[in-house]
Amino acid sequence: MAETGDENGGANGGEFYLRYYVGHKGKFGHEFLEFEFRPDGKLRYANNSNYKNDTMIRKEVFVTPAVLKECRRIVADSEIMKEDDNNWPEPDRVGRQELEIVMGNEHISFTTSKIGSLMDVQTSKDPEGLRIFYYLVQDLKCFVFSLISLHFKIKPI
Amino acid sequence: MANTEVEAVDFEPEDDDLMDEDVDGGSPRAPIPKLKSAITGGSSFSAPKKTKGRGFREEATTAEAERNARMSGRFDSLDSEDGPGAERSIEGWIILVTGVHEEAQEDDLLNTFGEFGEIKSLHLNLDRRTGFVKGYALIEYENFEEAQEAINKMDGSELLLQSIHVDWAFSKGPFKRRNMRRRSPRGHRSRSPRRRF
Repeated sequence: MAETGDENGGANGGEFYLRYYVGHKGKFGHEFLEFEFRPDGKLRYANNSNYKNDTMIRKEVFVTPAVLKECRRIVADSEIMKEDDNNWPEPDRVGRQELEIVMGNEHISFTTSKIGSLMDVQTSKDPEGLRIFYYLVQDLKCFVFSLISLHFKIKPI
Repeated sequence: MANTEVEAVDFEPEDDDLMDEDVDGGSPRAPIPKLKSAITGGSSFSAPKKTKGRGFREEATTAEAERNARMSGRFDSLDSEDGPGAERSIEGWIILVTGVHEEAQEDDLLNTFGEFGEIKSLHLNLDRRTGFVKGYALIEYENFEEAQEAINKMDGSELLLQSIHVDWAFSKGPFKRRNMRRRSPRGHRSRSPRRRF
């Protein structure tokens, strides 16, 4: 009954859920990108850009346990679960990011503003934590974009 | 004689399942967690979680309603029958290689995995902070057999002195927890939803 394999932050076993959202509401409506990995392997991807054409891209596909495991590995290596969004810039008019992860017995749901560049990270009140977030998000997006574009042959973004 | 043993192995996991159900009996069944539940603090996750972050505090209901609206529409997927097994992607079959050395080059993968068939695409993504290889590669073959052979031959082998794992990237349907960590060999699916935790 007891779970083993959580010694390294649930990288090997236990529950896993991950969702990332970035978006803003502006003159082209609500534009956003969102993806999630569900515990049963369903990967969902939504990209809504109303600029010029107002088509929403929504894709979903089941990934194998191997893919989820690699996603967990990326999350665990980043050590994001040790961070806290207390001192991160609050979401604002320019935009909002959300990162929600369930891994092992920990559940984080972080929110912050859009981060334009590393400059925003350096000048924030928690540069170390925000840097981890900043790079993790890029690595996750990169992973998801590869999966979605290889499976559906669409160019994300 | 040998057959009997195989049977025995097949039966044991079922006993195991029954025991699990007994243990589960008292608590509400935890179905496959839904998006919504994950956001509201994991109420349908079976174990209490340590929670952290502003997402649990600020305008939770508004955010949740918006999220449900965003994610409730129709999502496109490639048509395929349900069930276990690898799923074909639009132009071929995709495999995932993990444990890839951080200094691996595209050529290392093309040479090694090109043996099993023509590689239609290769994604060898980089760690955004370090600029080194992140540790995985996605490879596309045109035919199922090529991809299957690459998995058979290369899973558990070494590439640049690092042990790599090779598996399918996409699946026809959801997987059960039993696939994530094996406790015992199991010849067939358990007949009831498995406890998630």
